[in-house]
Amino acid sequence: MANPLQQFVIKPLIPLNIGGYDVSFTQSSLWMGLAVISATLLMTLSMRSKSVVPNRWQNVTEMIYEFVAGMVHEALGHEGRKYFAFVFSVFMIVLMGNMLGMIPYSFTFTSHIVVTGTLALMVFLTATLVGIFRHGLHFFTLFLPAGLPIFLAPLIILIEIVSYLSRPISLSVRLFANMVAGHTMMKVFAGFSVMMAASSGLGMAGAVLPLLINTALVGLEILIAFIQAYVFAVLTCMYLKDAIELH
Amino acid sequence: MNDKSGELARKIRAAQERQRQIVTGGNDGSGEPGKDEKGKALRAGTDLVAALAVGIFLGYWVDRWLDTKPWGVIFFVFVGFAAGFLNIYRSQTGQDYKVGFKPTVPDAPKDGASGEDGKTD
Repeated sequence: MANPLQQFVIKPLIPLNIGGYDVSFTQSSLWMGLAVISATLLMTLSMRSKSVVPNRWQNVTEMIYEFVAGMVHEALGHEGRKYFAFVFSVFMIVLMGNMLGMIPYSFTFTSHIVVTGTLALMVFLTATLVGIFRHGLHFFTLFLPAGLPIFLAPLIILIEIVSYLSRPISLSVRLFANMVAGHTMMKVFAGFSVMMAASSGLGMAGAVLPLLINTALVGLEILIAFIQAYVFAVLTCMYLKDAIELH
Repeated sequence: MNDKSGELARKIRAAQERQRQIVTGGNDGSGEPGKDEKGKALRAGTDLVAALAVGIFLGYWVDRWLDTKPWGVIFFVFVGFAAGFLNIYRSQTGQDYKVGFKPTVPDAPKDGASGEDGKTD
């Protein structure tokens, strides 16, 4: 039986080496490129006709757009329009990464912490910089809750800063762990099926059971792929909200 | 005729309300409790561990910088735990990821102030 974690191994397609660094074009890079291309094609091709009564593709695009627009409006209000493009891009790359990963023989690039970590760090830095540019040094009062006794301040500020710094970590780990766990689980159940089918008698007949579970798991994974993209985008909005409103 | 358009307006409002619920679903605390609780529980785990990891990393870094091994790590583990529980407390009480202690107020005043709500949807 194949190792269930084998699917996450990075394979270089075009080996490249610049200045002693391995910058090979890997299958992960390939699927990232495909995610960007497919998202762009979906958005542009489906909106080509721009009909009042949308066809299926246009409907999908409009649904995604309205979904994200509603989310941004809900969290940030009118102020949020400026950040719509950013949230939408983050949502689309995560969604496409998760969904393309559901195609058999494809590669899920969101199953690598380095990818989700970079995305989360980008969101975190954007939110922090937005806060600093909007509020200047006043931004750092974020770490000082109102009405705090002054002798507690050093400890609370430290705790608040650690809490703030933990946000990109929990954001990236959540997406990465969900993807790894889901895809590993599917592989394990598929492995059960293969092993049971290879045995004789009763085992062979029982091979259909893990297959049934796997069928259900694929549905669950598609749901999780969407939910995780949604969670990532919602939390992006939340972080931006903190930076903008500065309660 | 008038009756029909009134009915249509009512239908549109109902659909918009449904759409709003789908968009905010599970996130405004008023939705189905079961689904919401599970999401919160899943979130709590990563929140605690993430804050602890930041604490340990900071402690290790402080130790190397000030040569105070092992006191930095010992101190920052506790700070990390405190921050982790703070994270959990906030997500459980609907303050979400806010830094600071003001609870999330449903954004009624914000929308009322702008007054051109219909345009953005």
